[in-house]
Amino acid sequence: MAYSFPEEVLEHVFSFIHTDKDRNAISLVCKSWYEVERWSRRRIFIGNCYAVSPGIVIRRFPELRSVALKGKPHFADFNLVPDGWGGNVYPWIAAMAMAYPMLEELRLKRMVVTDESLELISRSFKNFKVLVLSSCEGFSTDGLAAIAANCSGRFSEESRISSFDLLSFATFFLSNQTKRYNRFELKPACEVDIGSPISLIPDFAHHWCPSTFPAWPPRCPSLRTLRLNRAVPLDRLPNLLRRAPQLVELGTGAYSAEHRPEVFSSLAGAFSNCKELKSLSGFWDVVPDYLPAVYPACSGITSLNLSYATIQSPDLIKLVTQCQNLQRLWVLDYIEDSGLDALAASCKDLQELRVFPSEPYDMEGNVALTEQGLVSVSEGCPKLHSVLYFCRQMTNAALVSIAKNRPNMTRFRLCIIEPRTRDYQTLEPLDVGFGAIVEHCKELHRLSLSGLLTDRVFEYIGTHAKKLEMLSVAFAGDGDLGLHHVLSGCKSLRKLEIRDCPFGDKALLANAAKLETMRSLWMSSCSVSFGACKLLGQKMPRLNVEVMDERGRPDSRPESCSVEKLYIYRSVAGPRSDMPRFVWTMKTPS
Amino acid sequence: MISGRSNKKRGFIEAFELPPQTLPLLLWNDHPNDDDDDDDRKGVENSSFIAKKNDDGYCIVGWPPIKFRRKKICSHNRDDNDRTVLHNGSARAGVGGGVNPNSKYVKVKMVGVGIARKIDLSRHHSYQTLTNTLINMFGKCQQDAQSFKLAYQDREGDWLLAGDVPWRTFIQSVERLKILRIGG
Repeated sequence: MAYSFPEEVLEHVFSFIHTDKDRNAISLVCKSWYEVERWSRRRIFIGNCYAVSPGIVIRRFPELRSVALKGKPHFADFNLVPDGWGGNVYPWIAAMAMAYPMLEELRLKRMVVTDESLELISRSFKNFKVLVLSSCEGFSTDGLAAIAANCSGRFSEESRISSFDLLSFATFFLSNQTKRYNRFELKPACEVDIGSPISLIPDFAHHWCPSTFPAWPPRCPSLRTLRLNRAVPLDRLPNLLRRAPQLVELGTGAYSAEHRPEVFSSLAGAFSNCKELKSLSGFWDVVPDYLPAVYPACSGITSLNLSYATIQSPDLIKLVTQCQNLQRLWVLDYIEDSGLDALAASCKDLQELRVFPSEPYDMEGNVALTEQGLVSVSEGCPKLHSVLYFCRQMTNAALVSIAKNRPNMTRFRLCIIEPRTRDYQTLEPLDVGFGAIVEHCKELHRLSLSGLLTDRVFEYIGTHAKKLEMLSVAFAGDGDLGLHHVLSGCKSLRKLEIRDCPFGDKALLANAAKLETMRSLWMSSCSVSFGACKLLGQKMPRLNVEVMDERGRPDSRPESCSVEKLYIYRSVAGPRSDMPRFVWTMKTPS
Repeated sequence: MISGRSNKKRGFIEAFELPPQTLPLLLWNDHPNDDDDDDDRKGVENSSFIAKKNDDGYCIVGWPPIKFRRKKICSHNRDDNDRTVLHNGSARAGVGGGVNPNSKYVKVKMVGVGIARKIDLSRHHSYQTLTNTLINMFGKCQQDAQSFKLAYQDREGDWLLAGDVPWRTFIQSVERLKILRIGG
């Protein structure tokens, strides 16, 4: 007779286990643990919506309250995935409407979300609290109005559920808008933290009409996060801040106005009243003269997003050096090396730095930002572990310094704007530099490469990058050996995305089994033949091998012809049924 | 018919080892590139960019890898600067008048400096303020300024010395600037 704990005890024990990884592990122990676990799981993250079907999820986990789904491949962010590719959330919503009437949270990334889906969400889930749409598209304000209308006013303070009151307010002027936005980033739309009710007004990119923006409601004691639309003028801001001095996160609207002393002092006064402010963003159209108004709040700021602020280095330096407790900075390359030196000297708690290009299509460069800036920050900021850096020149020596300075690096994404750029001092490829990064930074889990790179860099990566989970490669390598090193060496690899590299059939076919251990592989403008894709599809039933080709049917060309784009992902749901005319799945023969 | 699956508990090894590896579809030898025709720079020649002309005039689709929203925002910043009307003509150079319908950014290159800069000529009303700003921009001091001269490229593509024509004329025809050393 087998002894085991009663199910209730197991369930209680499992309630302390939260991460997906741990939950997946305990479900493998034995059948009864599998059963207890699946009935008690409340939260699920599905990294690829096509890896599994709604039916399979619902069958296994009948009591979910929180679902997160991701749709399109990452390179969709850069226009590499044609419209109509897929990732429509509707089938999921329809299935969950029946199966999870108690659903509370939905987080979607890179999915197509139609108004129909939003309306269905608003009608189906009585306890709905959290909707986050990141990089999604396909909806308009009509859909959002439905969410606001149907999800508001149902929650009470006593049950410590969110208050959607401000959203019903948003509905008032949203309903005046009927335009349909194709490329819409809403992030986050209406996010609520249980226990500390938050409401947000969506920060629409361009099209919110300020003239319909009525007077702000009297007081919003529970408002924690507010991100304003760019059209909201600066002179509105002091009033808003005074009504919500407990704000933790603020996204300003346009940060420009004619210089008027009374507006300035009003603004400065309002900011000094915001004692809880930790995060600042927005700063569209910024006028430097108004920046000092923010200084009173700077000592508490931990996150600063200036990536839309077109101000020059001296003003940036003045602002950034006020923020001694800064942990995260997103900024344009106007900050230049001098600004990064100042950052390194003042912000010792910095953990994440992202430097975006102000003129990404300008080959010549317009700012004095070089590899030196990044080296300075890596020297001066001991907690720096996450970097995204766009620049125009680099050296192996700089990368080696960065690697040695920051062995705690976990995310390193470097984009040297001109493809295949050499080390400008030695004229060598940047293999050694990136090699140093993977060798010294043992916890590195995300890496993006750029510059001139040979197969050697992939050998270093395969040898050292044992914790690497996501790798992005462009215009690199000499041949199949490079890809082989990565696929055979990187034990933890989950996502690999490659564009414009001379990788072909051999490495792919030789490492076919590896692909089942990963979430997905993207290859575009490489040298993988249609024949190899077919072979892979035939031999690997648990992989969906999708060929994307806008030139027409791949079998209308010789088998040795390279495919335009290839997206391979593991799936228990079999080939998908919603492919557009330019996507073909390589099927397993039945 | 007994199915392949066993009803017993999985052993430790079975449960925690990676799933059985299928045979590779192609056995890897150590010299995968041997039968390739060209030798070293094969990859470079054969890789096919998706080279299209997009709105920004740049050739490679999806490069550099920045999100669509960010691209739109940046170009919007510039457009808005050009379009919005200034209220009371506070066009003093350097003051945050903010938006200027006449903002005119031109590229400036200094000989010997790898990285070009950009300057908004609308904020200046004389050669003097322009050269002062340029000196600061390139990190030189006033004394050094004596050893440089400013040239500009006009609408016809000709390079001329700045300072010879009235400021108004200069502003209307200047397309690019270059800072050169006097003498050799």
